[in-house]
Amino acid sequence: MKIFDIIKDANQNLLRNKLRTFLTILAIFIGSFSIISTSAIQAGVNDFIDSQVDSYGGDGYLAIVSQDSFDALEGLQGNMGNNNSPTEYNPEKIQTGMSPITDEQLQKVKQIDGIDADSVVEQKSLSISYVSSDKTEQKYLLSAEALPPGNIKVDLEAGKQLDLRADEYQILLESRYADALGYTTDNIIDQQIHLVVVDEYTQKEKSFDATVVGVIAPGVVSMGQQYVNNKLADDIYAENTKYYPEAVKSQTFALAANYDYEKYSADDIKKSLTEIGLSAMTIQDIIGQIKTFFDVILTVFKLFGFIALLAAAIGIINTLFMSVQERTREIGLDKALGMSSGHVFLSFSLEAIALGFWGSVFGIIVSVIIGNLVNAAFHADGSFLAAFPTFNLVSYTIPDILSVMLLIIVIAFLAGTLPARKAAHKNPIDALRYE
Amino acid sequence: MSKNVILSTRGLRKTYGRGDSRFEALRGINLEIIEGESVAIIGKSGSGKSTLMHLLALLDKPTKGNIALDGENTSKLRQSKLNKLRNKKFGFVFQSFFMNANDSVLNNVMLPLKIAGLGARARRRKAMHALRIVGLDDKAKNKANDLSGGQKQRVCIARAIVNDPEIIFADEPTGNLDSATGEKIINILFRLNREKGITLIIVTHDPELAAKCDRQIRISDGHLASEPSKTPPTQLPPTYYEHNSGDTDADGMLDIMEEQA
Ligand SMILES: Nc1ncnc2c1ncn2[C@@H]1O[C@H](COP(=O)(O)OP(=O)(O)OP(=O)(O)O)[C@@H](O)[C@H]1O
Ligand SMILES: [Mg+2]
Repeated sequence: MKIFDIIKDANQNLLRNKLRTFLTILAIFIGSFSIISTSAIQAGVNDFIDSQVDSYGGDGYLAIVSQDSFDALEGLQGNMGNNNSPTEYNPEKIQTGMSPITDEQLQKVKQIDGIDADSVVEQKSLSISYVSSDKTEQKYLLSAEALPPGNIKVDLEAGKQLDLRADEYQILLESRYADALGYTTDNIIDQQIHLVVVDEYTQKEKSFDATVVGVIAPGVVSMGQQYVNNKLADDIYAENTKYYPEAVKSQTFALAANYDYEKYSADDIKKSLTEIGLSAMTIQDIIGQIKTFFDVILTVFKLFGFIALLAAAIGIINTLFMSVQERTREIGLDKALGMSSGHVFLSFSLEAIALGFWGSVFGIIVSVIIGNLVNAAFHADGSFLAAFPTFNLVSYTIPDILSVMLLIIVIAFLAGTLPARKAAHKNPIDALRYE
Repeated sequence: MSKNVILSTRGLRKTYGRGDSRFEALRGINLEIIEGESVAIIGKSGSGKSTLMHLLALLDKPTKGNIALDGENTSKLRQSKLNKLRNKKFGFVFQSFFMNANDSVLNNVMLPLKIAGLGARARRRKAMHALRIVGLDDKAKNKANDLSGGQKQRVCIARAIVNDPEIIFADEPTGNLDSATGEKIINILFRLNREKGITLIIVTHDPELAAKCDRQIRISDGHLASEPSKTPPTQLPPTYYEHNSGDTDADGMLDIMEEQA
């Protein structure tokens, strides 16, 4: 018998009892829909988080402050919401503000195994009085910092990344600034805006005219922060600190660095830093909690999907057992006329596979449609994702889709082997005598 | 027409069940069927006619004894070979029609060809030819269930002959039909026997049908009971094999003889 004929017959047999087939496929559909939907949401969230990680300097990013600064922060905030008692006063320590990182510490950081010495940079906080443009009279507050070194990709809505070595002044702005300054997200690209620093003593204004090269997509990590290239950062910092004594000018409160996250664990790096009185946060520390929260929820949903799939598998077994029973005479006739047991087995297995195939295909199609509708609805004006245009709630990838289909087809096939074996073992004589 | 032995059995026994429910349906049957002859298997209900036919048609395995097809012992054949033999050499017609009622007439007739792995065009051509022989080519597209009993049985005959079989096994082919319709079916079967030389093995209760056959084999309680016949005797001395081994497959026959010894 030709394989094409066996496949055709399997599909035709499924159409014989349409309601039963429909209900079985419906059960598979529910499992398929839940699993592919949770996968898509997980992929969507991960894509977004990855883009956030990239905008922070990737997986190897370290934000380093002195241990004292860190303790002060924790002492005031309470340890990440843990309900411990307030920190006691200690006259030996600076407990209320930032304490600087010494030059000696900076040198030691560069020597730590796993930290890329060239990547260690001082995080200078820039003080900008206001931002303005030629399009409007309005002036707005703005906070900006230099983009840390490394191959950082800020999540952009429009335009391109900063050229860190450019000689001109460049800035990446959030879209809210584009709107406020009289532009749109798209037409602000390559326009000049004015970053103004007001001299505290003379009240004279110094304006830095920067070219907007890109518009930052709103995100959870970089919210409220604009980025400037090194040249602009250096010049603004110089203006901010022009009255400072040399000793203060060179003071550093925060470092950014990259470590080799493939070879070294974050804990090892943190331990090395603690030994020299510094404290570090990795990107996982910063966004890990968000990710864990999503992962827990999605794992629960996925579990429901698998349970639904298990129930569907029992549905397949049941459906096919009924159909073996109904078709006893037919199977007997097929075998009497020379069909082999192997082909009978194959024919029923293919029915199971077809059930799995259609159930998974419908589940995926409906999930893609609903996913995109919900995503669009959540991004509509005023909805809760409107502020994050680059955050796609769902992300369907071909490998995800194919692996879900494969999983369901394998489960369907395995479920089908029981009834298929029963059919294959039917004896033509018993079938001929069967009324 | 040659006088080759197409099917022969030696000491055929079939026992159903075990222990208390053990039942000997066939108790040592020796017979042979000559190529091209028509044979009626007759006997009381429960005497073992269907059982014998199923064994001859290689649908079931005997408990003891063996069956030779074209002189070749079939007990050693692999299942796949048996499937092929049934598909290519045998045609089946049953009392209760046995067809896929919801399928079209054409699909029912094409079934053996589909199992044989023939392409769609060849299938259709051969099936239409077979339907023409039984006079039902105009019903090819109809649903099998919508036909009358006599038409259904003709479809079954078309299905039985579609693969150009050497033997047609018919288990009470007229059992569910009125005498006029039964007559028609019988005529078709005998025409195939005459014109194509297809061997007929018919299980029947109908004395008229039995009388039309070249030979009657009567079964009684699982034994063979002799019956007057027009053609060679059914109960043959063992030496018969030796005499005839020349014009059949000698090797195959010798195999059987050796196993009997
Ligand atoms: N699978 C089976 N298990 C147990 N006994 C069986 C089985 N098949 C047949 N028999 C018994 O074997 C005997 C012969 O059965 P068989 O069907 O060959 O009779 P038959 O001559 O064809 O009768 P009928 O004319 O009524 O069709 C019967 O007594 C029957 O009950
Ligand atoms: Mg019978």
